[in-house]
Amino acid sequence: MIRYALTRLALLIVGLFVASALIFVTLRVLPGDVAQLVAGMNATPAQIQAIRDQLGLDLPLPAQYAAWIGGVVRADLGTSLLTGSSVAGEIAQKATVTVPLGILSLVIALAFSIPFGVLSAMRRRHADGTALNVTAQTLAAVPVVWAGMMLVVVFAVWLGWLPAQGFPRAGWQDPALALRALLLPALTIGIVEGAVLLRFVRSATLQAVGQDYVRTAAAKGLTRDQALVRHGLPNVGLSIITVLGLQVAGIIVGAVVIEQLFGLPGIGRMLVTDVANRDLPKVQSELLVLTGFVLIVGFVVDLVHRAIDPRLRQAEVHS
Amino acid sequence: MRRSGRLRVALAVSAVVASAGLLLTACTGETPVAPTTTGAPDANASVAIRLVLEPGNLDIRTTAGAALDQILIDNIYQGLVSRTPEQEIVPALASDYTVSPDGLTYTFTVRDGVTFHDGSAMTVDDVVWSLQTHKADATWADSARLARVAGVAADGQDVVVTLSEPDSSLLWNLSGRAGLIFKKDDTIDYKTAANGTGPFVLDNWKQGDSITFTRYEEYWGEKAKVAEVVFDYVPDSQAALTGALAGEFDVLTGFDATLKDQIEATGDFALVLGKATDKWVLAMNSTSGPLANKEVRQAIRQAIDHEALIEAAGSGLPLYGPIPPLDPGYEDLSDVAPYDPDAAATLLADAGADGTTLTLTVYNGYPTIFAQLLVSDLDQVGITLKVEQVDFPTWINDVYVNHDYQLSLVDHAEARDFENWANPDYYFTYDNPQVQQLFQQSLSALDEAEASEYLRQAARIVSEDMAADWLYNWQSVQAVSTAITGFPADNVNARINLAELSKSKG
Repeated sequence: MIRYALTRLALLIVGLFVASALIFVTLRVLPGDVAQLVAGMNATPAQIQAIRDQLGLDLPLPAQYAAWIGGVVRADLGTSLLTGSSVAGEIAQKATVTVPLGILSLVIALAFSIPFGVLSAMRRRHADGTALNVTAQTLAAVPVVWAGMMLVVVFAVWLGWLPAQGFPRAGWQDPALALRALLLPALTIGIVEGAVLLRFVRSATLQAVGQDYVRTAAAKGLTRDQALVRHGLPNVGLSIITVLGLQVAGIIVGAVVIEQLFGLPGIGRMLVTDVANRDLPKVQSELLVLTGFVLIVGFVVDLVHRAIDPRLRQAEVHS
Repeated sequence: MRRSGRLRVALAVSAVVASAGLLLTACTGETPVAPTTTGAPDANASVAIRLVLEPGNLDIRTTAGAALDQILIDNIYQGLVSRTPEQEIVPALASDYTVSPDGLTYTFTVRDGVTFHDGSAMTVDDVVWSLQTHKADATWADSARLARVAGVAADGQDVVVTLSEPDSSLLWNLSGRAGLIFKKDDTIDYKTAANGTGPFVLDNWKQGDSITFTRYEEYWGEKAKVAEVVFDYVPDSQAALTGALAGEFDVLTGFDATLKDQIEATGDFALVLGKATDKWVLAMNSTSGPLANKEVRQAIRQAIDHEALIEAAGSGLPLYGPIPPLDPGYEDLSDVAPYDPDAAATLLADAGADGTTLTLTVYNGYPTIFAQLLVSDLDQVGITLKVEQVDFPTWINDVYVNHDYQLSLVDHAEARDFENWANPDYYFTYDNPQVQQLFQQSLSALDEAEASEYLRQAARIVSEDMAADWLYNWQSVQAVSTAITGFPADNVNARINLAELSKSKG
């Protein structure tokens, strides 16, 4: 297990470095730079050059990359070209919106995908099971923006239950108010991601139903349902944990889109603004943090999977 | 399968509980309180104003962009003189000023008893230092606008500005960024903080969300009528509307005129139309290709149905030349290239340019309807228009810096920016020595009427040369709560003076 963890950790670190290089190079392909934007439409070339010098935009790329990565290794994510404020501080501040949004989305996705997924598998030969499956197929294909707009129309415009946009200025000082602001966005992401998850739960359950151990348990006197709950679902759970790693990436992408739609001051909206401002030192650190988060979640999922799946542990002993 | 009933119920129950939990939380919201139309002004009021474009940082000395002028000038920072929404020059930190008959010496009497927001007194020294630094430091925005300033000196409570040659635009420029007064050698971080002399103090900037001003209690003039103003940055029109319907905003600037029925139905808001200096310029790169031919450029102008375009935009005024009605030198130029698709087609055939394909580079933040209308208008006369939507930095890089474009569409919001037509290096690629000379003559003119007349002549030449097309003169549309008075109507893209803003008790 320890050898596995170390190998996996090494892979994670290599992955982070490759990601950082890709992020850095890709961003440099974008046309236009922050100096031109800061100087504006009536600026003289001398003014633009003065700003470029001030911001260090003319340093050779390898030096810029080395400076950035050197900082990241020392847990320094750099500063914004525009405001001079610390990127880590900005991310931490915006995370107070995005992290709860992500967690809430995940909870909603799980809360409806697991029960309905199992149900849809068990009732696959009935009208309700088929209806569930078709609904999930449809929802999974819905663009997250469209889903968000529909929810706004129903819950904010028609029913007036929830705010259509924005986040309380006082943040989490009034938790109920903050939660209300996050509900519609989280529901939007949760439903779309949950629909994907539902189909996965369904197929995993179907697979479990057909397994020898379920049939054996049934032969020993359990009902099919009891056998499935006792022996099948733990295996389904294992598969869900694996796929959760992917879901986290989906939720982050969803958050970038949804924060725009709902006017939430989170990491996704900040990222879009920073790209539009060509504040590249800030953008590259933000992207690295998001990528790193997804990679680390994948790493943890792999370790957890390894730890709780007896078959993998045994395979290690025998190898 | 009968036994499966229990499991199914258990699963269904857990799903229902999960959804019910969401709905219960959802139901607890309070109904927003609608503003009332009567009531005395509330000196403790907080006013929420929706704006569209958030500044990248707050350093108005070096960072370009109308987003800074809009909120910081007049409210936080002030100059010796200021301008009204009707573009008149009025005294501000100078109580009075005189101009010598030869137009070379401006004498400003600096107001006594002015303090900066950090509590220190504003002195004549601060004024001289600010103007001198603004002229000397090229990284400060609009530094070039003080090119004709030869010297700035203190004389008792007066500040004397001497010029190398007359400059009819000097007072105008001093009422903008070039004339703002800062504390000498201030050590604040201008990117995130501010220290001015205006009626409001910068309280807090939540990046990506809002900027809050509070009343400056030690202000030298009449104090602000509200305690707090919050600028909420909401780029999306629909989100702004829903926010207003929920009572989250008192004023919506940059309101999407096509949504007006929805907001007027509430009875809590009134729509206010205002004049503006925004010119939607369809720039034509005349250095090469079919657009080097004046007949082709004229054909494009005559092919565009400007009235239909304004109707699609929801509001706006026609504009057929480079100077809008608010600026000096305006003249109705609708006779130069009137809408006439048949004439356009003939012109193109004569020029041998029918069947041409042109590319339009346009900023992707604008409504797509403009590009769509241009495609169909030009298609009717035999020009295929390809539309390339790019983000703003790409537009700046390709079009503005490298002049790598054929047609470009951008909203030029700045007031009095005729200078760009007199600058052959500008991305307009327009080079006419006669226009450049007329512009210089207007700068050196000794009185306003003379200066305007030179500009008027120059503007007509620019339009007759078919240097570009001007799709229309944008009008500002605001939705203002009935509880609000004193919010400026005109030119709010350029600046929002909050001195008269007041909110009645609801």
